[in-house]
Amino acid sequence: MTTPGATADGQAASIVVQDATKIIEGVTVLDGVSFTARPGRVTAFLGPNGAGKSTTLRAILGIDHLTSGHTTIGGRPFGDHRQPVRVVGALLTPDAAHPRRTARGHLTVVATSNGLPRASVGRALDLAGIVPIAEVPVGKMSLGMRQRLGLATALIGDPAVVILDEPHNGLDAAAIRWLRVVLRALADAGRTVLLSSHLMSEIEVISDDVVIISEGRIRVASTMEEFLTAAPSDPERMPLEERYLSVVGEL
Amino acid sequence: MTFAWRSELLKIATVRGQWVSALLATAAIPVISFLVVSTGGLGSGESSTRGAATGTLAGLLAFGAWSATIAAGEYAQGTMVTSLTTVPRRLTLYGAKLSATATVAGAGALLSAIIAWLVVLGVRAPGPYGLGDPASLASVLLAIVTVAVIGVSVGLITRSPSAAIALVVVALLLPKAASGLLGGLQPWIIGASPDTVVTELIGGGHLAADQTFPAGALAAALSMVGVALVVAAGGAVAFLRRDG
Repeated sequence: MTTPGATADGQAASIVVQDATKIIEGVTVLDGVSFTARPGRVTAFLGPNGAGKSTTLRAILGIDHLTSGHTTIGGRPFGDHRQPVRVVGALLTPDAAHPRRTARGHLTVVATSNGLPRASVGRALDLAGIVPIAEVPVGKMSLGMRQRLGLATALIGDPAVVILDEPHNGLDAAAIRWLRVVLRALADAGRTVLLSSHLMSEIEVISDDVVIISEGRIRVASTMEEFLTAAPSDPERMPLEERYLSVVGEL
Repeated sequence: MTFAWRSELLKIATVRGQWVSALLATAAIPVISFLVVSTGGLGSGESSTRGAATGTLAGLLAFGAWSATIAAGEYAQGTMVTSLTTVPRRLTLYGAKLSATATVAGAGALLSAIIAWLVVLGVRAPGPYGLGDPASLASVLLAIVTVAVIGVSVGLITRSPSAAIALVVVALLLPKAASGLLGGLQPWIIGASPDTVVTELIGGGHLAADQTFPAGALAAALSMVGVALVVAAGGAVAFLRRDG
């Protein structure tokens, strides 16, 4: 069992993105992106479509190359961790499981790849509330069920860090509430949660910190409380959606 | 590596299309051998072992096509993201894919060769042509594992199952089909092709001089393996450059 908020070797499991720049065919997708997501906190990673959120998350997970800069989890690149599933649980897309494989089969493959005990599969199915459909092929599941399976995949290794890209897509009201409880519990247990979403009402409720990216640049990196307070002289809180849109310029 | 290898084996075992395809590929050699031998297609001077290997090309094509979908299918289905985040060390993941596919292909080839040999014995008594050397059927295993390694690697390079299958099939069939275009290279290329290597190692296949590897059967087998290693290295480079 990993100590909450720490990697298997005891390193504090902050996510650090340092001066990340990515240029694709002459287009700067990420431009000196730097921020830190800390243990014990839910960090919302917000931005318009195409702002660079998913690219940043993929870079943290070593899936996309950076042109310059670096990312670390618990002090080292993601790929250097010996049991990555115990360090980081990631949900990048609800379509990351083979459509002909059952939910149990998918989770068994993931557990086996990191030497996790078979019992972890049952725990993950139970945690995500998908025990009744454990033997259903992924291709026959609704989007919401595939999201739950993706969350089960992310949480199967009891990781110190959880990275979720648009986890609310396809979830119904009950599942959104369930996710809120789960993510809050993870952060309260000392884990690092980095969350990308367009569901502002939910993000406002659940997040401790906020990072906003637009056109490949970080526009805001602060606590949620500070961000929602428009100015030190004006203690009145603004809704996240208004504050966010004022920053990204879509009002 | 062991965990990743087991995981790759489980990937095959938990998708019905994958293990059924491997089973069908395993059946290819015995079925073809049975058809050839039972219809009198085997020369009167050829051994039972040679008869058991007559379906080798079908087995190579079947396992080649199957292996081509192993890595390419992950890109097509979008599941490579899961593989990359659960086994982020690229060479470990690649090695696990290669070794798991080779394990299944090797086991299938071994089973295939044994069944084919027993089938031929059941259909045709050894008689004056003899049993041949059953141990030489290991060449079938070697050839199929080699083609499986090439299939996985080509799949990783193309990222497209259909393109990978087409390339593997063309690589297996084109040299003989276009032998006239190969000029002086013909015996070197055809002689080192998996189907011919099996024939050379088993013997009794009546290969023409321009289809026989000039440096001998063992050198032909080594060349075949060498080509597979080069393709595998190409797959590793492609994987590291694009997904590394």
